Amino acid sequence: MSDDESHSRHAPSDPARYDEEEEEEEEEEVEQRRDSLKGKQRRREVEEEDEDDEEDEEDDEDEEDEGTSRGRKRQKRRHKRSAVNRFLDVEAEVNEEEEEEEEDEEYGGDEFIAEPGGEGEDEEGPRRSVHHARLDRRERELNDQDLARIAEDVSQRYKRSSIRYTGDMNEVPQRLLMPSVNDANLWQVRCKPGRERDIVFSLMRKAIDLEYSTRPLSILSAFQRDSLAGIIYVEARSQKQVSEACNGLVGVYPSRGINLVPIEEMASLLLIKKQDLTVAPGSWVRMKRGKYQGDLAQVMDITENGEEVGLKFIPRIDLNPKDEVAPDGKKRKKTGLAMSTGIRPPQRFFNYEEVVKVYGRKMVSKRNQVYVFQNDTYKDGFIEKDYKLNALVLENVNPTLDEITRFGKGQDGGEGENTVDLSIIAEASRKAAIAVLQPGDHVEVFEGEQSGVHGVVDSISQDIVTVNPVGVDLEGQKVQIPARSVRKRFKPGDHVKVMAGKNADETGLVVSVAGNVVTFLSDMSMQEVSVFSKDLREAAEVGAGTNIVGNYELHDLVQLDHQTVGVIFKTERDSFRVLDQNGQVRLVQPHQISMRRDSNKAIATDAENHELRINDNVKENDGEGRKGRVLHIHQSFFAFLHNRDIAENGGVFVTRARSLVSLAPKGNVMKPGADLSKMNPALSGGAMTGGMVGSGNMGRGPRDRLIGVVVKVIKGPHKGYDGTVKDTNGNIARVELQTGNKVITIEKDKLHRRNKDGSLEPLEAHRSMGPPRGMGGGGGGGYGGQNFGYQGSAGAGTPSWNRTTNPYANGGKTPTWNSSATPNPYSNADGGRTPGWNSMSSRTPGNPYAMQSKTPAWDSSAKTPNPYANTAGSWSPTGPSNSGWGGATPKPSSGWGGATPKPAATSAWGGSTPAPVSSGWGGATPGRSTNWGDIIDTWVRALFLWTEPSQSCLYTLEFCADPCFRCTNSDDCANSWSIWV
Amino acid sequence: MAAAAIPPQARAKQLRACLLCSIIQTPVDFRRTGCPNCEELMQMKGSPDRIQMCTTTYFDGIIAVIDPENSWVARWQRTAKYVRGMYAVRVKGRIPEDVEAELESRGIKYRPRDQTDQD
Repeated sequence: MSDDESHSRHAPSDPARYDEEEEEEEEEEVEQRRDSLKGKQRRREVEEEDEDDEEDEEDDEDEEDEGTSRGRKRQKRRHKRSAVNRFLDVEAEVNEEEEEEEEDEEYGGDEFIAEPGGEGEDEEGPRRSVHHARLDRRERELNDQDLARIAEDVSQRYKRSSIRYTGDMNEVPQRLLMPSVNDANLWQVRCKPGRERDIVFSLMRKAIDLEYSTRPLSILSAFQRDSLAGIIYVEARSQKQVSEACNGLVGVYPSRGINLVPIEEMASLLLIKKQDLTVAPGSWVRMKRGKYQGDLAQVMDITENGEEVGLKFIPRIDLNPKDEVAPDGKKRKKTGLAMSTGIRPPQRFFNYEEVVKVYGRKMVSKRNQVYVFQNDTYKDGFIEKDYKLNALVLENVNPTLDEITRFGKGQDGGEGENTVDLSIIAEASRKAAIAVLQPGDHVEVFEGEQSGVHGVVDSISQDIVTVNPVGVDLEGQKVQIPARSVRKRFKPGDHVKVMAGKNADETGLVVSVAGNVVTFLSDMSMQEVSVFSKDLREAAEVGAGTNIVGNYELHDLVQLDHQTVGVIFKTERDSFRVLDQNGQVRLVQPHQISMRRDSNKAIATDAENHELRINDNVKENDGEGRKGRVLHIHQSFFAFLHNRDIAENGGVFVTRARSLVSLAPKGNVMKPGADLSKMNPALSGGAMTGGMVGSGNMGRGPRDRLIGVVVKVIKGPHKGYDGTVKDTNGNIARVELQTGNKVITIEKDKLHRRNKDGSLEPLEAHRSMGPPRGMGGGGGGGYGGQNFGYQGSAGAGTPSWNRTTNPYANGGKTPTWNSSATPNPYSNADGGRTPGWNSMSSRTPGNPYAMQSKTPAWDSSAKTPNPYANTAGSWSPTGPSNSGWGGATPKPSSGWGGATPKPAATSAWGGSTPAPVSSGWGGATPGRSTNWGDIIDTWVRALFLWTEPSQSCLYTLEFCADPCFRCTNSDDCANSWSIWV
Repeated sequence: MAAAAIPPQARAKQLRACLLCSIIQTPVDFRRTGCPNCEELMQMKGSPDRIQMCTTTYFDGIIAVIDPENSWVARWQRTAKYVRGMYAVRVKGRIPEDVEAELESRGIKYRPRDQTDQD
């Protein structure tokens, strides 16, 4: 044993160096077992040990020498001498002793002497004497030497081999090292970002290379900081020296300036600290990458240099390896792939049985309490593994309560082991805690000298909180406490609001406080919620929670899939509870919603044939007789109602529209099949609140009513040809000739409309029927004041106007009309009209243009193509004002009025007596009526949609984009037509 | 003038900085020649284990100390008495306890190189 030991010690380069003292002890033991001679020597050594460290080492070395040679030679001699022994003279023995001093010789001597004595039986006597003699002599010699001198020698010898470490001015405080004016300056040099290190190294090498050249570098140092990209600093006496040093180095940009660093800033350049990332055992980290990316792990231990940490976390073992059946050859490849591309297995505690079942008994070995599987160790279900620090996220770990609970439960899966050490999580989130403190907060000190003190935060400066204690003894004096040692304090009964986390914005009454976990009864869900006190604030408000998640809001009608729509009745943190039309409740994520449906304009018929709209207050006439306000109507059949008094599903329920009765009695009972005016939103007045806002409500309309009109060319090379208008643009029309199947482009004034009876009339005359234009013709200003204008419109039916048989023609011929094609006055007029149009769409009751789908006029003049006629009906409630229509704008109004010579007739319009009107209108626009009639049926609602006036398309008439729209004539029905200037 | 082994590549991933004197070398150099400044204490020569314990890759900022005697940077970093070479501005970690104890017994104040305690 001693032999081995000494061997190993002999080699100075041996990697495993034992602690010297320990070795000494071992040696001692061994030594004691040796003979008495050795014992004596030992005593001497012990004495020497007191001297100096170095001397110790010397001793060791001595011993080493002794040991090695002893062992080696002893063996050798044993063989040799035993054989030769008898032939040797005793003289030789004596001689040897005198000449040689080495111990090995002594040993040799021992044996030599011993041998003749018959295998050591008798050896004691002679051997002892020899030893004693030698010892005495040796002791004498040693005593002669000055021990101190030996020590000195030794230390000298060691000094030579390695420089004694003395530290470098370690006693000098850092502040005394601040640069002075006598020091060289620091120069900032720009360089290529990412090359800073290389450049610093290059400078070093360059300096060494040129050291003995004729032009050595005269810079003193150069350095780089990781946090300062694209910058290096060079220490030199002058700028010239810096540029010389940088000259020829790639990636340095001395041309961008070599800037002097002010003396006072020099030190701070070396003091820049990255945010200190420290880990302590017990703290939480997350994995940066790999299979466990994002997983929470707990630090168990840290290597001495802080580079690696031992972590404990929940393993993800693939219990369904895909390659199970694959042949062996492919197996390895597949595992690799599965690792990289496959879905990662879920977090799961290591379970010996499960793993063995899948991977076989051979794969898992057990040592002590630890399982080893695929080179990882598993303990208590957790995997324990060492990670490099830079593979971990140390900041903003924010472990959630769930995660930590999981950790706490361990493998036993919550076997009543609810002793989650919440102090750990508190520790982890302490930093955050500092950030959430505010003056005025009630806090308590939970650690340190002031532990137990509570008070109100007075002020916060960095990490120090000044607290006004509310205790007995400390009352009145302010105490400064590190922010990490305080936590917010709540008591049962406080009304709190959650500021952060999963339960953010919840409010409630605190029911219990345990350490830093506060449990409160949520105002919203009436359930107990436990949160960290750091996430709480005292708040008087009652949280409404978030009603908006993503693009969706509480009580939105949303499309879930092709057949299913539902109403959101509860929003959660990132999901919704939706009641679908079948009465089923679903939990959906925002991404599961394909779109939001707009039922603002949806209409249904209730049990009494009343029209039913959203926001109506209704009651079920069967079933439970629930009351509620209509939130949404779906396909005119389902109605989603809301009633605050119903607790279930947030008060939202779904029912059939046909089983509803309006609560607010409506005077205007719908006469079956006839009076659609009641459906007119414009009529229902105040009941209608929603209003058609925005373009979304706009129905479809013709792009241009001229399109499809049969015309005859009256001028130009194609004079006499008949054709159909295909498209218009300004005053140009594209006409498909009936002959030759040819499309020509021609000015509109070269066209005449061919009526059914074969008569011709100028095209523009009809165009003027387009109310917007016609109105415009009257003067844009008129539109702004429509409401008033209409009042006056009664008068519009002035006889004079009436007398004009074809008011449209008149209107059409007004210069303004012509100019309409050009952007000038008309466009102005249009602009002026805009608000008017908008107002129409917003269903202001008085607004004639707010024509609604069910205006009686439509019905009556069902086959009258002109949607405007409808509008005319729509504002019919005030009979005279109907006539007022055009009245807003004298000319056109007269035109309108002209169509119906008598004011009475107009009133008839409103009166929804279809016949006269339609006849009147039909007469006015004979040709078009057919077209329109085809397209429009009673369900159609016509709306004006103001489109971008940028081009010639001014607005689009849309006919009910609502799903309830049933267009009977799909052939001709273009969904949206624009009216072109 | 004595100089440390200058690592050939700045990018070398495992450049290591001595925890005591902050010199930066490659592990190979540490093994071959030990720490040029504090080998006496660190005993890293030929001992990869010691090198692991006494050096780290976790450092920030590299200084090329060309003229340690006259450089303020070197003085500030307390490397003025050391050989010239590449030094780290900040080194994370502490020296092994045995070395710390040894320093103490010699009456040398140990200053960690992580700038945690400034005075």
